[in-house]
Amino acid sequence: MKSLKTLYIGAGILGTLVLAAIFAPLITSYDPTEQDLLQTLSGPTSAHWLGTDALGRDVFSRLMYGARVDLTIGVLAVLLPFIIGVSLGLMTGWFGGKFDSSVMRVVDTVIAFPFYVLAIALVFIFGPGVKSIVVAITLVGWVAYCRIVRANVLVAKELDYIHAARLTGLPTSRILRRHMLPNVISQAIVFSMSDIVLSILAIVSLGYLGLGVPIPTAEWGSMIQEGQPYILQQWWLATIPGFMVVIVGFALSLIGDGLVSRLER
Amino acid sequence: MSTPLISVENLCVEIKTNRGLLQAIRGVSFDIDSGDSIGIVGESGSGKSITLKAVLGLLPNNAHVSSGKIYFAGQDIAKLEKKARRALLSETAGMIFQDAIAALNPVITIGNQIAEVPRYRLGQSASQSRQTALKLIEQVGISDAESRFDLYPHQLSGGLRQRVAIAIALSASPKILFCDEPTTALDVTIQAQVLRLLLELRRNSGLGIVFVTHDLAVVNEICDEIKVMYAGRFVESGTVDSTFNNPTHPYTYSLLKAAPDPDASVHRLFSISGEAPNLSEPVVGCPFAPRCFAGDTHCLTSEPELLKIAHSESACFKSKDHDKWAASDSKSGVK
Repeated sequence: MKSLKTLYIGAGILGTLVLAAIFAPLITSYDPTEQDLLQTLSGPTSAHWLGTDALGRDVFSRLMYGARVDLTIGVLAVLLPFIIGVSLGLMTGWFGGKFDSSVMRVVDTVIAFPFYVLAIALVFIFGPGVKSIVVAITLVGWVAYCRIVRANVLVAKELDYIHAARLTGLPTSRILRRHMLPNVISQAIVFSMSDIVLSILAIVSLGYLGLGVPIPTAEWGSMIQEGQPYILQQWWLATIPGFMVVIVGFALSLIGDGLVSRLER
Repeated sequence: MSTPLISVENLCVEIKTNRGLLQAIRGVSFDIDSGDSIGIVGESGSGKSITLKAVLGLLPNNAHVSSGKIYFAGQDIAKLEKKARRALLSETAGMIFQDAIAALNPVITIGNQIAEVPRYRLGQSASQSRQTALKLIEQVGISDAESRFDLYPHQLSGGLRQRVAIAIALSASPKILFCDEPTTALDVTIQAQVLRLLLELRRNSGLGIVFVTHDLAVVNEICDEIKVMYAGRFVESGTVDSTFNNPTHPYTYSLLKAAPDPDASVHRLFSISGEAPNLSEPVVGCPFAPRCFAGDTHCLTSEPELLKIAHSESACFKSKDHDKWAASDSKSGVK
């Protein structure tokens, strides 16, 4: 039952963060983009729990609103690759042949390409913003799911119950959906948990490079970047958003661990 | 004579391995019609299961039919479109496997698995297919079908799982049931129940049965015909009665002798010395010759064909002497 505990702790941490992001307007009375130039770079006070940044914006409320942006993109940027990768993996593994080998060559190409170079190039093409980040991560992210699922399908294809289903003449779509998918998807789900962390990290990195969500929208990556010049005086400006990423990552890997032992009996 | 439901002609299967091409099946022929029951016996690696898989189109990626023909209802299945082939296959043949838990999808309730074919292939409504499934559950001798409908495979005992697997195979109403050691993983009493069920199905609905096993007693129980497989070929083929009483191939003879006999005064089990030949190298001579008690130098150089001899067919140069083996054996007092 240890696995359940890690699952619950992880889900608890993440759930708290998600709730905080959703109910951010109720938790803090500050607008995350409202500047107060008379109170810049103040340390933590009772009014501003985590102080203010160089433009006098409340850091705590920026963190909460930033969670909205980062978590949403993080999940979106995993959901799309997940769907694309899992379906392609199912089909390549099942049908094999030329279709399989051509898709796998594309996969090899994408894997060989450095992610950030590709992402930065795409963001340059589409312009910074949520859409291009999601597109960039999707274009790169699906390959992992495709490979995981394909490998599992190749194994499951030779299992007796798949043979039995094939022999009874069930339609292929039915076999894939009902017999194959539920039995090959668990690894992909577990991987998606750590993948969310990776994609949040990518968003934050792109934000830090100024290629992410355009300012002044609150976002952890740009917060780190904006806090960087003051790292010696107001260290928390750059550190706390980074710490948030760590917490999310920690929660998701706990969930992932819990899921591994739950799903893979 | 009408065309048999399934007819296999000179089937050869090759398997690609790291150490080269393996001739897993080297020319196997047999016919089966509804109501027939054929037992295919042989030791591990002799090609029994591969034969079934080749006939049913379930060969793994690294194996392929290299020559020979398979006819379903007179049609060469290699010449059929993929869709037509699958339809014909599923109409004609069903299969049950050695490990019933592996043959059942762990994430679907047994009722839904049985109802799947009626619902999604035969186009029955949800409630119709449920009724069909309940009927099938009862037909395979599972009591209390209603309450068991919603159980998952892991909640059932081994015997019940195998019955469920049989019900799934029957849901497509096949005419021939291919059984790949379906009772090997079961204990003896359950094994007897499952065999009885298969016999009933055969008697009541004229189901043809191809039974692959290494258990001679099981073949004796449910089959009329026996085919003994060795190194990818049938070495002896005949009716169960005559073959068991009077084997014409030294391998069959040794197999029968190796079966434990509870009445035997000498309690030391007979075993065939040596091991089965490596099929990744070309077979020269009779593959059984190095382990054979009756062979001579001629057997080492040319491979015998499966020929008619007395009451059965045998692939052995020495099979006309088969009467003498038992006689000389009893003299030397081995058995």
